[in-house]
Amino acid sequence: MLIALQNIGEHNNLFLAAVLLYLIAAVIALALTNQHKLCNLVTNSICMVAALIGITAAIIRLSTDAILAPVTILKSQIPFLLLEIKIDHLSAFFVLCLSVLALCVSIYSIGYNAHYYQKRNVGFFNFLYAAFIMSMLMVIISGNAIFFYLSWEAMSLISYFLVIFESEHEENRRAGRLYIIMTHLGTAFLLIGFMIMFAYTHSFDMFGSSELIPETAKNLMFTCFLIGFGTKAGVIPLHIWLPYAHPAAPSNVSALMSGFMIKTAIYGLIRFVLCYLQVEQLWWGAVILCIGVISAVLGVAYTLMEHNIKKLLAFCSVENIGIILIGLGVSFIAAAQNNDFLSSLALVATLLHTFNHALFKGGLFLGAGSLQYATHTKDIEKLGGLIHKMPVTAVLVLCFSLAISAIVPFNGFISEWLIYQALFLNINMGTAGLNILSILSIAALALSGALAAAAFVKLFGISFLGLPRSDHAAQAKEVPIVMNIGMGILAAFCLIIGIFPASFVKLADRVADSILGSSVAETLQPGFLSATVPLTVSGNSIAPGEVLIALTVVILVVLLMLRLFWGKYQARKYGTWDCGFESINARMQYTATGFSKPIRIVLSILYRPGRKVVIEEGESDYFPKSVKYKVWTESIFEKYLYSPVIRVLKSGSEKMIYLVQTGSVHVYLLYIFISILALMFYNRVV
Amino acid sequence: MSDMILFFIVQTGFVILAAPLVNGIIKKIKALTQKRTGAPLLQMYYDLFKLFKKTSVVSDVSSWIFRVTPYIVLATAVAAALIVPVTTLIKPVWNSGDVILLVYILALGRFFMMLAALDTGSTFGGMGASREAMISALIEPSIMVSLLTIGLIAKSTSVFEMMTFMQTVHNPLIHPVYLMIFFALVIIIMAETARIPVDDPSTHLELTMVHEAMLLEYSGRSLALMELGAAIKQLVFITLLVNLFLPHDQLLGISGITAIGISLLIYLGKVVATAVLIAIVEVSTVKLRLFSIPNLAALSFILSFIGFLQFFVFGG
Amino acid sequence: MTNYLDALSVLLLVSAFILMGNKRTGSYIKTFQFQSALVALLTGIIGINSFAEEGRVDVLIIGAIVVGIKVLFIPYLLKKTYAKVAYRVEKDFFLNIPLLIIICCFIVVFCYYVLSETAGINTGIINNQMVNSVSLILIGLFFMISRKKAIGQIVGFLVIENGIFVTALFAIQGMPFIVDIGILMDILVAVIIMGMMVFRIDEKFGSINVDKIKDLRG
Repeated sequence: MLIALQNIGEHNNLFLAAVLLYLIAAVIALALTNQHKLCNLVTNSICMVAALIGITAAIIRLSTDAILAPVTILKSQIPFLLLEIKIDHLSAFFVLCLSVLALCVSIYSIGYNAHYYQKRNVGFFNFLYAAFIMSMLMVIISGNAIFFYLSWEAMSLISYFLVIFESEHEENRRAGRLYIIMTHLGTAFLLIGFMIMFAYTHSFDMFGSSELIPETAKNLMFTCFLIGFGTKAGVIPLHIWLPYAHPAAPSNVSALMSGFMIKTAIYGLIRFVLCYLQVEQLWWGAVILCIGVISAVLGVAYTLMEHNIKKLLAFCSVENIGIILIGLGVSFIAAAQNNDFLSSLALVATLLHTFNHALFKGGLFLGAGSLQYATHTKDIEKLGGLIHKMPVTAVLVLCFSLAISAIVPFNGFISEWLIYQALFLNINMGTAGLNILSILSIAALALSGALAAAAFVKLFGISFLGLPRSDHAAQAKEVPIVMNIGMGILAAFCLIIGIFPASFVKLADRVADSILGSSVAETLQPGFLSATVPLTVSGNSIAPGEVLIALTVVILVVLLMLRLFWGKYQARKYGTWDCGFESINARMQYTATGFSKPIRIVLSILYRPGRKVVIEEGESDYFPKSVKYKVWTESIFEKYLYSPVIRVLKSGSEKMIYLVQTGSVHVYLLYIFISILALMFYNRVV
Repeated sequence: MSDMILFFIVQTGFVILAAPLVNGIIKKIKALTQKRTGAPLLQMYYDLFKLFKKTSVVSDVSSWIFRVTPYIVLATAVAAALIVPVTTLIKPVWNSGDVILLVYILALGRFFMMLAALDTGSTFGGMGASREAMISALIEPSIMVSLLTIGLIAKSTSVFEMMTFMQTVHNPLIHPVYLMIFFALVIIIMAETARIPVDDPSTHLELTMVHEAMLLEYSGRSLALMELGAAIKQLVFITLLVNLFLPHDQLLGISGITAIGISLLIYLGKVVATAVLIAIVEVSTVKLRLFSIPNLAALSFILSFIGFLQFFVFGG
Repeated sequence: MTNYLDALSVLLLVSAFILMGNKRTGSYIKTFQFQSALVALLTGIIGINSFAEEGRVDVLIIGAIVVGIKVLFIPYLLKKTYAKVAYRVEKDFFLNIPLLIIICCFIVVFCYYVLSETAGINTGIINNQMVNSVSLILIGLFFMISRKKAIGQIVGFLVIENGIFVTALFAIQGMPFIVDIGILMDILVAVIIMGMMVFRIDEKFGSINVDKIKDLRG
């Protein structure tokens, strides 16, 4: 079938068709802005079709070896403005990732957007939604740095409007402001990087060669790209916009933002640093590895303290970006040492985790949307007992939680296992510093895995299990089936990748092979969809499928034997043990705050927790009217890094304003005069 | 084929049958040191048989998670037992897992156990789950670092390969690397199997219990499965310890079915010795305050990290 | 032989880490005693070796003296001193214990980093033991910094001395006899004087928190 599809025509046309369909969806959304239901249905359906085309195109591109000629969309008289798309395996892989996510989110949105009917401008929302997907797609498939930059800006701006879509809340506007400032800071660094690129090569061709660029300039470019892309990816300490922007946006948009938009930064790092600059310096990889470790551990540590479900998930994205960067760092280090196999392996792990994270984080944000849809709250302290009210959503969220905690047999484990293997192979006799860094990364990865498990036990346990903690939770109803279908496809993907890893590893391997010229798939054993084929990396192998079979067999045997020897399972319903007092009520349960307290105390250095007890005196000391207990944690980066910088900037500019802006026209003219003279002088000297 | 049957019988049947015995020995030794006669060695078997017959009492707040958890816990423990060979003389046919998978498959059981504890809405359950989350998070880095350090020396992450390699090491316990990893692993075992000084298995006092608090709502058949799962997990960790650091298969110098038998007997002897050792540690130390456990975990991490440094950085 | 020495050097390092993790003055003294016993064992092994190979007995004698002074007498002295002072548990640290232990870890790595480039000791197995023993000295110093009570300073000082002694043993199989004896006597006198100082501090400030000495500034 694939070959048949191949013959239809240039694959690039398929990609163009997808872009065009998103554009059509956006326009139709604006046209149908008065008929909410119809508009929603039509736009999302077109997006689904576009996503399906994207998936097909990406798979075809990944299975062919030919290097395709660029397709020029637009040439113009404006210098450098050349809109062309170029798709290699790397782009195709990311298109696949985006399209799978967009497909599921669009299905979900048909149901989810219903709560906007007659309340908000659904047409405008869907316009932004389709345009957002289109801009992300263009970032991935753009063929030169200028087009990349334009798409990048478009993506940032559209996502800004989506973040402030529910702009009547002050906190959403603040989140949007923070987001736009941070993202432009990053974009500025990118622009500097591109300018250095142009200064030496006289071309914005990012598929070209970087041989003309001297080493110092390369180092400078790397730093610019790291800061620029790092801001978008939300690495610590540039992460501060993330926990505000993701909760502010509507849930289906957060799923796209967290699931894919932050990954465009990973794409950028691979495209510009690994492919274009060709890693030569060891310290590039080491720096990325360090940033990855810090982001992974601190990200998950902050995840554990959040009770706002979307904020929690946003911090968790920081953690996963950290894990992805650990993989990327190893890949860079190995590339600098010309160890192609290890570099490929680490890149495969990175790409696979990128894909996996898009699946389960997208799914979790959709799950958060379902919870909000059903209970109208984002605070998990107000939920509880939802597994009885929303059984399907509960199962799906449980799947995603297991996957993100890297637990067998889900996909998160596969990519983390590959990263462990990459780190394992990175340790050799003789390179002391790298060895220490690698073993610490292993420790950090283990720590973040366990803390993530704790965080998601908290998320699932508090919101779905136990007794409902508020009326909203008690009266919740299962969400429309469309929403569950959208999430269900993602969950199915999580499980399939977890059980049949070899096929997906091979997909990522095509990319690594085309970039680094070394394939890890050769060490995999043959067999495409066989569950019992172990995933083998230099002698070490796992077969999650077999493990799953073993687990099932054990359970069945145990059930059978118990039935045969000891008879039928008998159970009697009774209340939870209440120590002989009155029956347990919802307020006696453990809260999310209580659940994370031991870790809050142990890692108090990260959180700087504070608490306050306010007692309102009653008639007697023994019967106070009310006791209020408040506990909070500080975000150290905001307090100790950003606030001082902002303070200094503010006081500095307050002083400067009267020195520069004197109010006299003559002085202003003088400024212009001096600038012109300086420019002329510069021209003469250089 | 016969290899395969032998492997599965030894790895599952043998381990499942032997696991409750370890608890029996520990309890017996503890009783003897306190000048009590104590329960018979096989008491846990009697308990299990009785519990299997009994009706479970299930909280009406709970959901299906509460009911499936005992099976998942038992199944993950058995799957973990399949990864850790009790003797290196039987070639593992089921080579589907390595140490990383071992850690994460036990995490699956733990994940569900914590959820089940929260499922009933009981305060005890929440408390146990929250403490377990902390302890497991703190101990995880040292498990990974210590086991992978041995893996690095043996150049494989497979447990079987690691054990085979350790057979060739002459007297590992005076080697600086293995000595450190050994101590780290002892602390890890104490934490993972809910033993004093980390957790007290015989208490039902809310201030001290961690593992028991999570099982508090369980009764009848479900409780038996949970207890059995915990016992198997304990035996898996003990197996890991004795087979890595007290290798004996090479010393036999023979092969064949008799060799396997002798090897298993020696293995049992070592397990019993370890059980006695654990009992002695349990009676001679006190349970640590919950917030002193990080110090112990830090110590365990440092031990494994120093072990790593000795070999891979200083070049041992 | 080298295997035993390696194992002992690592155990010495671990004893320093255990010391860092201790909270009670009683366990400070016990850990120090344990560490000194390891030092004595090490001296014994090297002593037997040098006796068997070169017929020297001085290292063995020093080993015996170490047992006498560091394993038995100084711990006894410290215990006696501290029985009279009411403060048994160190409650407040400048940094919490896991963090201190992690910093110690960095000290070890740092020692490796510094020593790996030093000429002369970079050949073969000696490197391993040197790193461990030099780390012992620095951890002893860091222990003195990290503890507020005066006992921390005394024990830290003793650990530093142990470290120097062990470094000498590893590097050149023991210093000349007379130097070792001199150092051991110095230690003894220093501990006695410090013990007396602790009484004075306790009397004067009603606490043995060394922080309080800051109050002496005018």
